[in-house]
Amino acid sequence: MSKLKTSKFGLGLAAGAMALGLSTAGIAAEHASGFNGIGKNITDKAIEPWDISVFYDGTNLPEGSGSVQAGQDPYDAQCAMCHGAFGEGAEGYPKMASDPMPAFIKSLKQGLDGVGNRAVNNAWGHAPTLFDMIKRHMPFYAPGTMGVDESYAVTCYVLNLGMIVDSDFVCSDETLADVDMPARDYYVTDTRPDVKNERCMSDCYDAEPKVVGAVVTGVSQ
Amino acid sequence: MSETTLDQTPQSDAREGVASSDRRKFLRKSVALAATGAAAAAAGNAYGDVDLETVTEPLEINPTRNILGRGVVSVPYGMPSKFEKDVVRRNVSWLTADTVASISFTPWQDLNGIITPNGLHFERHHAGAVDIDPETHQLVIHGMVDKPMIFSMDDLKRMPSHTAIHFLECPANGAMEWRGVQMDSMQFTHGMMSCSEWTGVKLTDLMEYVGVDPKSTWLYAEGADGSALQRSIPMEGAKDQFGEPIPADSCEMYKDAMIAYAQNGEALRPENGYPIRFLLPGCEANMSIKWLRRIKFVDKPLVTYQETRHYIEPLPDGTIRQFSLVNEANSVINYPCPDYQMKGKGAYEIRGIAWSGRGKVAHVDVSIDGGKNWQEAELVEPVLSKCVTKFKLPFEWKGGEHLIMSRVTDETGYVQPTLMQMRKVRGFNSIYHKNSIQAWKIEKTGEVKNVQIENF
Repeated sequence: MSKLKTSKFGLGLAAGAMALGLSTAGIAAEHASGFNGIGKNITDKAIEPWDISVFYDGTNLPEGSGSVQAGQDPYDAQCAMCHGAFGEGAEGYPKMASDPMPAFIKSLKQGLDGVGNRAVNNAWGHAPTLFDMIKRHMPFYAPGTMGVDESYAVTCYVLNLGMIVDSDFVCSDETLADVDMPARDYYVTDTRPDVKNERCMSDCYDAEPKVVGAVVTGVSQ
Repeated sequence: MSETTLDQTPQSDAREGVASSDRRKFLRKSVALAATGAAAAAAGNAYGDVDLETVTEPLEINPTRNILGRGVVSVPYGMPSKFEKDVVRRNVSWLTADTVASISFTPWQDLNGIITPNGLHFERHHAGAVDIDPETHQLVIHGMVDKPMIFSMDDLKRMPSHTAIHFLECPANGAMEWRGVQMDSMQFTHGMMSCSEWTGVKLTDLMEYVGVDPKSTWLYAEGADGSALQRSIPMEGAKDQFGEPIPADSCEMYKDAMIAYAQNGEALRPENGYPIRFLLPGCEANMSIKWLRRIKFVDKPLVTYQETRHYIEPLPDGTIRQFSLVNEANSVINYPCPDYQMKGKGAYEIRGIAWSGRGKVAHVDVSIDGGKNWQEAELVEPVLSKCVTKFKLPFEWKGGEHLIMSRVTDETGYVQPTLMQMRKVRGFNSIYHKNSIQAWKIEKTGEVKNVQIENF
C-alpha cells in the first residue's frame, strides 16, 4: 500500500467522523492514553507499615531505644549461633566484628580484600543502616520479627562487639546517626573504568605464556 | 604452581589453526588440496586431511521405531529429554552457609543460544524464594511524586507494555577465580549470568504517570520477601552520601528499567521474583529487586547493607569502592570449555558469549595461542544492547596444545582486560566485578582445562 493511499484513507476517516458529528480528538484519545483509570491513589498513612527504609543519615529511624546491655540476651538467643558469641562469625555466616580498620587497610594494601573479614567495625559505613538491616532482615530464620526497641538494643550490642560504642551506650533514633563508624571515610564512589586494555591483534607479547592452573575437580559432576 | 609452555608450534601454524571466515580463502585451500591429486584422494574428501572411518555394518533398526511414544499432555508442562538431565542449575556448597541465602549457576556450557531457559536462570536469594499470590500482590510508588499510587497485577497488565532481551549478572560472577584457578566447569566460572526476554511496564512510563518531582535524584526499590531487599538507584544529578556525583553512565541506567511480569513469554518464575521484579539492565543484578512491592523516589541514597557492607570493592589503595553498579563488558568461550573433551582432530567451531552493561557488543576477538595473536569472530544476530551476543569462529584442531580465549570490545570502545591487568589495579581478591579474559587450555589428550596465564 502506498503512502498516498494510507493518507487518503486517514483523511477519509477523519472527514467521515466529522460528518457524523464525532470529535476526531476523542477518537485519538481512546488510543493515546495508556494509563487513564489505572491504579488507586494511596495516602502516606496507608503506606506507613511498608515505609520502613532508614537512610544512612538516620532519616526515617523509628522512635525507640535500646542499650548495649539490653542487647546481650536477644543477641545470645537469636544471633550468636550464626554470628558467634563475640561476633566472630560461625558456620560460614558473616562476622560482626573482625580486623580493626588499620589491620583491614593493611590487608587491602597487600592486595587482599578478605571478604570473610568484612564486618561492622571495618566495612560498614553508617550505623543507622545497621539498625535497618537488623530490623528488616533479622533474625535470619524469622526475618523482620524483632521489635523496634529490641532492634536498637541488638544494634547497640553489635556496635559494642566491634568496639565502636562503649558498654553503657544507648542506641536510639536520637543517637544512632552520630555514631562514628570506622569505615565511613574510606568510601569512594565508583571510578571505573579503572582497568584499561588495548585491542591488540598480532604479536601482542613476546614471552612464552606462563600457564598456571590447579582446579577443584569433581565439582561439576 | 606448575609452569608449562605451549607446544613449539610455529606461530604461523597457530594462526592458521583459526580458519578464516573468508569463504574465498577456504575455497582456494580446497582447490589446492584437490590439485595435489593423491593427497586429496587419501583424505577421502576435499575438506581436509583427517581420515574418516567407514561404516560397513548394516544399521540396526532404531529401538523407538516399532513402539508408541507418549501421548500429548502426558507431560502438561514440557520437560527436556531425560538424556539432558544433567543440564541443570548447580550451587557450590562451600560458598555459602545456607541455600536460602545463596546462589545457583546457569549451565552455559550446555546452552547454544542467547536466551536462558527459565528453569536454568541463575538464582540469588537473601531469604529464600517465596510464593506470592498475584491476586493479593500490590506495588506502591511514592515519595517525591505528585500522586502516590498503588497498583494491582491487573493494573500493571493494562498499562502499555515493554519487551526487551537483557542479561542479568551477579557482580560476583567469576569471583572464585580472583586469586587463582579454582573451578573445573564453565558453569561455576561464568554461570552467575543469564539472559531472558522480559516484558513489563517501563519505569519511565510509570514515572510520568505518578508525576515524579524533577528534584528527585534517586529512587529505591524494595522486595516483599523476608530480606525485603532494597537498593538505591541513581538518576540524573545523583550524589553520594558525601556529596560527590555518581558517574553519568550509572545515572542513565534507570531509563531502561522496567517492572517485569514476564520472562521468555511466560510468567516470571518464583525464584526470579514472581509475580513482579524490578529489572535494571546493565547493572549488577542485585539491584533488580525480586518480589517487588515498593518504589520510592527520593533525593539521596539509602546506603543499605547491600551498598555498604556487601556489594563493595575494597581496593589496594586502602579505599573502599561503593556504587560500582555497571557490569563492564565480559565474554567467554563456551565451546570448547572444561566441561568437554575434544572429540578427535579436525574441524570445530569455537563458540562463545559476550555481553556489556554499557550497551552493544562491537567486536569479539579469539586467540588460540595464549593471547599473542587474535582473530575477529563472527557475531551472531541479534546484537542487542545489554544483551548476550553469541560469537563463533571456525577452528581446525590438529592435536596440539592451545590456549584459547575470547576478548570483547563494546560499543563504548571498552576492551575486556586480562586478569593480570585487573589484579594490578584491584588486588588478588576483590570479589566483585571480575570480567577478565578467560583462558582454557586444550591439551594434546583433548582435555580442556581452566587456566590462568601469569604473564598475560
